[in-house]
Amino acid sequence: MLFSRRQRYSRPWTWHWLIAAACCLGAPLCRGADAVPAAAPDTATVDARARARLAEAIVADELDLQLQVLRELGGSGADPLIGQTLTAWRGGAVYLFETNGTRTPVLLDTQTDSEGRARAIRVADGALLAGGDGQGLLFTANDLTSADASSKLRRAIKTALDLFGVANPNPKMRRDAVVKLGQEQNADYLPHLEARLKIETEAEVHRALQEAIAVTRLLSDDAATREAAIVELGALRSITSLVFLKQLLTQAEGDAAKYGPATIKALRRSVWEIENYLWWGNLFGTAFRGLSLSAVLLVAAIGLAITFGLMGVINMAHGEIIMVGAYTAYVTQNLFASWFGKGGLGIELYFLAALAVSFVVAGAVGLVLERGVIRFLYRRPLESLLATWGVSLVLQQLFRHIFGAANVQVTSPSWLSGSLVIHDVLLAYNRIFVIAFAFAIVAGTYLLLTRTSLGLQIRAVMQNRAMASALGVRTDRVNMLTFALGSGLAGMAGACLSQIGNVGPSLGQNYIVDCFMVVVLGGVGNLVGTVSAALGVGVTDQILQPWLGAVLGKIVVLGAIILFLQWRPAGLFATRSRNLEG
Amino acid sequence: MKNLRLKFLILLAAVGLSAGARAAETVKVGVLHSLSGTMAISETSLKDVLLFTFDEVNKAGGIQVGGSKYMIEPVVVDPASNWPLFAEKARQLLEKDKVSVVFGCWTSVSRKSVLPVFEQLNGLLFYPVQYEGEELSKNIFYTAEAVNQQAVPAVDYMLAEGKKKFYLLGSDYVYPRTTNKILKQYLRSKGIPESDLVEIYTPFGHTDYQTIVAAIKQFSAGGKACVISTLNGDTNVPFFKEFANAGLTSENCPVVSFSISEDEFRGLPAKDLVGHLGCWTYFMSIKTPENAKFVGDFMGWLKDPKVTGVDYKVSGVDPKGRVTCSPMNLSRMGVYLWKQAVEKAGSFEVDKVRTALIGQKFKGPAGEVTMQENHHLVNNVFIGETLASGQFKIIKSFTGVAGEPFSSKFLK
Amino acid sequence: MTEMISSPAISRREALVIALLALIGLVVLPCLNAFVPSTSPLHVSNFAITVYGKYLCYAVLAIGVNLLWGYTGLLSLGQALFFSLGGYALGMHLMLKIGKLGQYQSDLPDFMVFLEFPKRFPETGGLPPHWIPFHSFWFSAAAVIWVPALLALVFGWLAFRSRIKGVYFSILSQALTYAATLLFFRNDFTFGGNNGLTDFKFILGADINAPSTKRWLYIASGVLLLAVYLGCRWLTSTKFGLIQRAIRDSENRVLFSGYATGRFKLFVFVVSAVICGLGGALYVPQVGIINPSEMAPDKSLEAVVWCAVGGRGSMLGPVVGAIAVNAMKSYATHAFPEQWLYLLGGMFILVTLFMPGGIVGVPAQWRAARARWTRKGEAAGDKGTAPAVLESATKEP
Repeated sequence: MLFSRRQRYSRPWTWHWLIAAACCLGAPLCRGADAVPAAAPDTATVDARARARLAEAIVADELDLQLQVLRELGGSGADPLIGQTLTAWRGGAVYLFETNGTRTPVLLDTQTDSEGRARAIRVADGALLAGGDGQGLLFTANDLTSADASSKLRRAIKTALDLFGVANPNPKMRRDAVVKLGQEQNADYLPHLEARLKIETEAEVHRALQEAIAVTRLLSDDAATREAAIVELGALRSITSLVFLKQLLTQAEGDAAKYGPATIKALRRSVWEIENYLWWGNLFGTAFRGLSLSAVLLVAAIGLAITFGLMGVINMAHGEIIMVGAYTAYVTQNLFASWFGKGGLGIELYFLAALAVSFVVAGAVGLVLERGVIRFLYRRPLESLLATWGVSLVLQQLFRHIFGAANVQVTSPSWLSGSLVIHDVLLAYNRIFVIAFAFAIVAGTYLLLTRTSLGLQIRAVMQNRAMASALGVRTDRVNMLTFALGSGLAGMAGACLSQIGNVGPSLGQNYIVDCFMVVVLGGVGNLVGTVSAALGVGVTDQILQPWLGAVLGKIVVLGAIILFLQWRPAGLFATRSRNLEG
Repeated sequence: MKNLRLKFLILLAAVGLSAGARAAETVKVGVLHSLSGTMAISETSLKDVLLFTFDEVNKAGGIQVGGSKYMIEPVVVDPASNWPLFAEKARQLLEKDKVSVVFGCWTSVSRKSVLPVFEQLNGLLFYPVQYEGEELSKNIFYTAEAVNQQAVPAVDYMLAEGKKKFYLLGSDYVYPRTTNKILKQYLRSKGIPESDLVEIYTPFGHTDYQTIVAAIKQFSAGGKACVISTLNGDTNVPFFKEFANAGLTSENCPVVSFSISEDEFRGLPAKDLVGHLGCWTYFMSIKTPENAKFVGDFMGWLKDPKVTGVDYKVSGVDPKGRVTCSPMNLSRMGVYLWKQAVEKAGSFEVDKVRTALIGQKFKGPAGEVTMQENHHLVNNVFIGETLASGQFKIIKSFTGVAGEPFSSKFLK
Repeated sequence: MTEMISSPAISRREALVIALLALIGLVVLPCLNAFVPSTSPLHVSNFAITVYGKYLCYAVLAIGVNLLWGYTGLLSLGQALFFSLGGYALGMHLMLKIGKLGQYQSDLPDFMVFLEFPKRFPETGGLPPHWIPFHSFWFSAAAVIWVPALLALVFGWLAFRSRIKGVYFSILSQALTYAATLLFFRNDFTFGGNNGLTDFKFILGADINAPSTKRWLYIASGVLLLAVYLGCRWLTSTKFGLIQRAIRDSENRVLFSGYATGRFKLFVFVVSAVICGLGGALYVPQVGIINPSEMAPDKSLEAVVWCAVGGRGSMLGPVVGAIAVNAMKSYATHAFPEQWLYLLGGMFILVTLFMPGGIVGVPAQWRAARARWTRKGEAAGDKGTAPAVLESATKEP
């Protein structure tokens, strides 16, 4: 759990050291008492004294004393037991063991026996609580009373914990802790933050510290300090501080006498700078998101561009073939997990294998479908709609029976989790992957169709089956291979989409309408058209969404498609033909 | 197949009666949950738990009415996530099969669709899924969480945690829109300014949450923000994947989801949800003897491949992967409440059972519930934090919250 | 089957069959429901009557689809939209007739009270202005016709003006219905959002749930179906019908012969929309609910599938298909709740593979097979009886 929580911030090439970091860190920020190890009792006398003080504070009934102790602990660094105790205290999981009128604060181990009882760990020294016979005593949470923490106290505990975070060896956690402290705008933290700023080497944390200090100084009574902070935040293009700057601006405008025109001017400038920066960020963000949605549409539709666009089969089962690919990825993941273990290599590599396997499996399904059903329908393309619709119903129910009606869990490998951040624009790795994959798949299909003899045959058969047959092309075999190819591509799309969406029996239904729309909009039978249509729909959708919301945005996109076809009644790239009915 | 067995049973019963022997009598009970179509994803589990509960009741001696024992005989139909078909099937169950009670429906629209049928034919329906309220039919008993038993406590908790900005995100249909409308009113009354409340909807089956997550990222940049999500089951996966990839976590922006229970969790990327919150009247992790029995018996029952109609041994799905969740618990408790009421009334007649149901108490896995006059339960409410295991760690509980369907009564 | 399409007038045999079916459907069944005691084995239950009524409305929708697809070669994937619009038009009237019997005992429909429409439309007391005329039954009845017709007119004019054909037309109509679905899902759109319109109480003063009302609605559906059937049968047997079929088989040749094919198509499209709307209007009071998922793209596709199963290109085929598929669905969802999709899906595949003319094409197929048997050796392969509609989808001339 610890590992995965941190992993979300990770860049792909850093996952391995994160394991190491996770191992050596201890868990000061981990919530709950669910990671209590048997602590080493005598690390340092400093720690021992701090622990004793803490234990004293827990049993004390005086809030002032408790707050005092928490303040003392604030800068004391990271003793894991203290961290855990504080977390547990805040969550009501520090218990009081009472004997002979003395109360001893204890934590319960996470490991429990069959009756749900656990060993108790003394807060004061980290030792296990033992009975008269020297055996460890066992308790359930209900046997003991828990130490109360009022909401005021809980907040103080949280502050202490947050200050621990500033010293956290993991830069990501450190940065998060710093950001949180900055948002409190509490001048008490300033010395801690400033001290850290001097020794901080990590650029990201350094910047976060600067921001946090400046945000806190916004509330300073000294005009010069305040203005310096304002200017600094503007220069830092600090998005996190925008709210605070705006707040201050409203205040200052309401009370110009107190703040003075210089402050207001500086505030306006900084707000403008940051908003300007945000505007550009959003512009690039929208462009990236549009590109990524286009890539998703393209990946999903490319198989259909072949089975429907080239072959003319109205393939309503296209969505279900995507689903076959997605479930193949799921099965591959489980197989890898059972071969290579749940963590590590199995999860990291299964996805590459899944792409290949899903191509093969979905291709095979397509092959069977073509041999069993489609090949009888080349002369009656419209009936293929009916038959493939039947196939789609059967496949959906089949998968529901095999894998259950609920969605299944497909875990992304760590190199597809997290995102690349460039100037506060998020580029998620899985999205980048889909874009690259879309490029690869389009290029591959294009080369296959134009540069290989199979491609030549495919095009020949699709253009004029009788003529191709007369020239000695084995049309039957070409049909079969083309359909299998289209299905295989759909299967790969499924594996790919399993990384960004859900995998369930109705997966295909989510994509089928969009897929047909993209293929038709581009001009049936034209790969370039499909690519352009995907781009058009994807980018338009993402541009509209921030204004209109997802629902209205989608409606407008559909309206635009209707109007667009008025202008280009046979799609973007109409196949030109001298044939009257073509 | 089931039908054959059923016919065989009827035949047996008929033969038994004609021979003058007093064989165990049966009472027909309808199960109206979608087993295909978009809602099958959620409703199939409810069908399973209902069949399990019927077996449980039958094994314990059935229902005692007027000195004789009645065994429950389920009639399962598939309304296929099609709302007019729901009405048709409800009518079929009541008119043709003459069932004494129906357990079913998940979506509000399916309940709205069958409501006139139940009122006209004076049937009895138990509805087990959290919903937006604003409805009270004399023929429906709502074991489900009302808005004041789920959304309001969850928001209270977020306020207590010091959250000041709320991003209300939902699928575009009535439950989210209504819940959010109530929540907005509630939050305004708690002094949250309009500028810190954002309300966003996405279509059903939406798969692209990039823009929304980017907006949340900016929304939460200043801290103290949370997301209140009423996204329905399917769309949660793309949302949470996107959310996690953007570096948002439960620490910097927690998400409270009202539609994710343990059952939905099975299809969600576990590592992306750690620490986010759920609010229900039951969690599988609740430690009571009643719950241990419920969970243990249900898992044992699932291992018997004949009853579910799915041979897990063939399919390779481990019944251990199955879970219990709040709608399942509420379905099961509905059966017991009905059983108790029937026994108290000494009859299966709807009017008598309805009267007997009011005030009926049942000690369920999450504590005792009481059926109120307004056909909703007094129930305990829990807030849980999701763990990577797909379970919830309970971090707060409210005891004895009385369900109230009409928001005008709990919003002052 | 080919003979059936080209034979213009109604043959004697066909007339006889229709008359017989009408007699059974419109007179015998309702009588068995009304006058035979429920203990008798001949009794037709109230449940059966409502379900049959629903099938008949579906059959009307199927005829609408078929008039476009089978006879004009326009595969519209949006006919369920017109069906739903008809349903909404009448549903609005029925909502207003609930009166104070709703949850809130208000004159407004429940969802309007709850969504605070009185604040949004204070000048009308909460009722959105476009709802007001729907107090009148006759206005609503007219709206059942003109609303779908108007939409079809505008949409069709746009589409046929720029000569959108084949699969492009199909996808266009699908985009339209999909957009409409999303729009109607919104609570703000004033049509009840996802929950739609439901819990009707009265129609023309009668209790809508009473068995006698249900029976009259069933009879009305039957009459509508008969009228639509005969009307379409007549239309397709005129010269107009001939042009219609010529457009289906080769639009450009018709165009070059001097006919403005666009206008013909537009007319048929509007007629089809009206037919669908009428079907929807009778459907809603019988099933008791109309919501946006009725106009979702897959509902239109389903209607197309009924036509194909029954046999498109003949007027009887869609009726048979709609009733057969839905009857089977009703039966199988009860008898085989877990397996029925296999049955339905399997049926679609088998029908396509082995019964290219659909159910009504079976006799012709049987005759052809027997003829082949007798004239062994010169048997021609199955050339396929389906007209080539999506020309652009097939790359073959």
